[in-house]
Amino acid sequence: MTGRERRAGMILVLGCIVGLAGIALTFFVSGMQRFWINWIIWFLFLLTAGLGCLFIVALEHVVGARWSTPLRRIPERLSGLTILMVPVALVALFSLPVLYPWARPEVLRDPMVAGKAVWLNIPFFSLRVVACLVLWALSYWIFVSRSIRQDRHGDPGYTVRVRRFAPLFMAIFGITLTVVAFDWISSLDPLWYSDIFGVYLFAGTFLAGLAVTTLAVLYLRKRGRLQEIKPDHLYNLGGFLFAFIVFWSYIGFAQYLLMWYANIPEEVLWYKERLSGGWGVVLLAMALLHFLVPFFILMARNAKSDPRFLSGAAALVLFSHLLDLYWMIYPALKEKSFFGWQELSFAVLFVSAALLWIRRSMKRGEDMPVGDPMLREGLGFRL
Amino acid sequence: MNNREVFSVLGIFDSAQSLMRAIPEVKSGAAAKLEAYTPYPVHGLDEALGLRKSPIAGMVLVMAVIGSIAALGLEFWTSGVDYPQVTAGKPYFSWEAFVPIMFELTVLFAAFTAGLGMLLLLNRLPFFRHPMLAARSMPLITRDKFALAVEAGGKTIDVEEISALLRDSGAASVEVVESPPVHGLASPRFFFRVLIAIAIACCVAGYATYWAMKLFPKAIPMVHMLDQPRLGPQQGNTFFTDGSGMRMPVEGTVSRISIPYTVDEQEDPSAMGNPLPRTAPVLGRGRQLFNDYCSVCHGILGNGETTLTAAYEAKPTNLLSKNIAALTDGSMYHVIMKGKNSMPSYSADLSQDERWAVLHYVRVLQRALDAKDEDVSSAQKE
Repeated sequence: MTGRERRAGMILVLGCIVGLAGIALTFFVSGMQRFWINWIIWFLFLLTAGLGCLFIVALEHVVGARWSTPLRRIPERLSGLTILMVPVALVALFSLPVLYPWARPEVLRDPMVAGKAVWLNIPFFSLRVVACLVLWALSYWIFVSRSIRQDRHGDPGYTVRVRRFAPLFMAIFGITLTVVAFDWISSLDPLWYSDIFGVYLFAGTFLAGLAVTTLAVLYLRKRGRLQEIKPDHLYNLGGFLFAFIVFWSYIGFAQYLLMWYANIPEEVLWYKERLSGGWGVVLLAMALLHFLVPFFILMARNAKSDPRFLSGAAALVLFSHLLDLYWMIYPALKEKSFFGWQELSFAVLFVSAALLWIRRSMKRGEDMPVGDPMLREGLGFRL
Repeated sequence: MNNREVFSVLGIFDSAQSLMRAIPEVKSGAAAKLEAYTPYPVHGLDEALGLRKSPIAGMVLVMAVIGSIAALGLEFWTSGVDYPQVTAGKPYFSWEAFVPIMFELTVLFAAFTAGLGMLLLLNRLPFFRHPMLAARSMPLITRDKFALAVEAGGKTIDVEEISALLRDSGAASVEVVESPPVHGLASPRFFFRVLIAIAIACCVAGYATYWAMKLFPKAIPMVHMLDQPRLGPQQGNTFFTDGSGMRMPVEGTVSRISIPYTVDEQEDPSAMGNPLPRTAPVLGRGRQLFNDYCSVCHGILGNGETTLTAAYEAKPTNLLSKNIAALTDGSMYHVIMKGKNSMPSYSADLSQDERWAVLHYVRVLQRALDAKDEDVSSAQKE
């Protein structure tokens, strides 16, 4: 371990300590609501980044892609963020009576909310959370742990079996991610509903997974690892990023347009809250940072494989995914102010902890799935 | 060579590797345009040949931007300026509703530019007889041989020298490809002339139809909506038991423009004040309404002197008299609503605002009988 690495590790541990102190202070000084809303935002941010990576791994197996085989170990390692989120999710269950109106008995007098009580009640909610965590951990074990074991024995049987499992995972992923979207985000306002909301979160999830994967690949390449990854591979990452930026905007706008047209009170109120009191500026910033700026950065052919443009666009997309979650979740507090040292300490804690976790996971297995029979073909991939 | 023009000189290679090796040599030896023909895509061939980056990306970008601006302009003009119509209570210029159309037109312009630009501008289609199709080695190239072509590009090239150059750089054989003679009917020019003729015919037919419809309005193209069974006013109908086609409004129906008036006595509404401001447009409207409805009996000056007097038995009130001037606005309003003595109600003829405007004008007439100095000066100020 070089001195530089040790220093970085020290800084991250220090960040964790400072962040922990900050969020403890938030809990006691600024109140439980502010504490839990930030907890939920960061939980979902890191969870979607991890799940997005797991989705990228599964996507390769489903479609039988070969170009991405040399890159696969990176999303495999990063998808460990999902495992890091298991305790965070279980702790987040304590936020239910504080943040979620349907968990309070007096709100159930509203017949509209009472009608949803079959789905929205604390025991069933907790059961769904645990079931999702178990399914994700199981998928992680099937995809990642056994892929790392393949490095040593090189048994192609793993590749065959995992390709059979991958389509099933897609169904699991689709259902669990929709449950996450409806349960954790949409039910903050139990009267509001949007059929497309799961797809919207999926767009953000896939983008977050792509962005962290791209950033990690570019970082490792800069540090002298993954030298066999050619600009052609990077081009495909950039192409995916480019395409799904448009997909996210399309879904996000489609959701808004239909509600704007229909103008039904229980639907538009959600948007009304998220367009007034400064949140409109956040949405405008998102339109720029989540769509227009990375769209034009990645538009040119050469930019998609240029590390500078690609890392810039990926960082923007990752940041604006956080902004997206912030914009969806935070207005549920109905508070005027929405940024302070409280939010900063949560960012410091979760970013430091996630980076520590990623650093550790980057040591697992080889940098490329050396036991995978498709690796040679993947390395020879040219546009 | 005979008098036919040379299109290109082909060097036939046995493998992709030998083709790639030969390219730099031929490139430095011949100052002509190079092209390669291979049975499958060879990686790195574009860079080796030094092909220019296709201009299609730039063309598509420009046309996509034009497409979205055109869509925005079209929507802004039609629904914001030329034919504004309220739809679902939304503003005329609702950018949200414009976005899908902008998206579609952007994609449409971009796709057409990419497709047609590639076919017509860059590949110069329609191009009925590409010289390469007549090359003897074409069957080989589509199977397992690789060809490097030195193209004349309309100029004369030294065939012998280039053949030698190709052989030196490893070509197994060399073939000279000639430009085929161009037949009149199969030429691109003829093809484009036909296209333009069709376009002109479409424009003429459309324009002629437009004017035919305008000049001969009897020729109505579609009458389905006009030609449907319906009931005219007062027409009988057996569907309802009373045999009448017209229906009474549902009980309790209230007209959207009339405000219920529940006052019965003239003295009661005396507290009602005139809600309208005393501005020039209101007074002008009041004067016009007074002249239309009131002056017939009350006289153009409101003094009750009209031509009706002989035929009409009652004498209309002099509105300028002291006791009328002493009435409150509310009482006079009540008279307009309910009528008085021989005067019928004007509630059906004048709307609420019109009644108040008339009252303003009546006050002006009363004041004019005994105008003060400041009235004149304030009128001049206006």
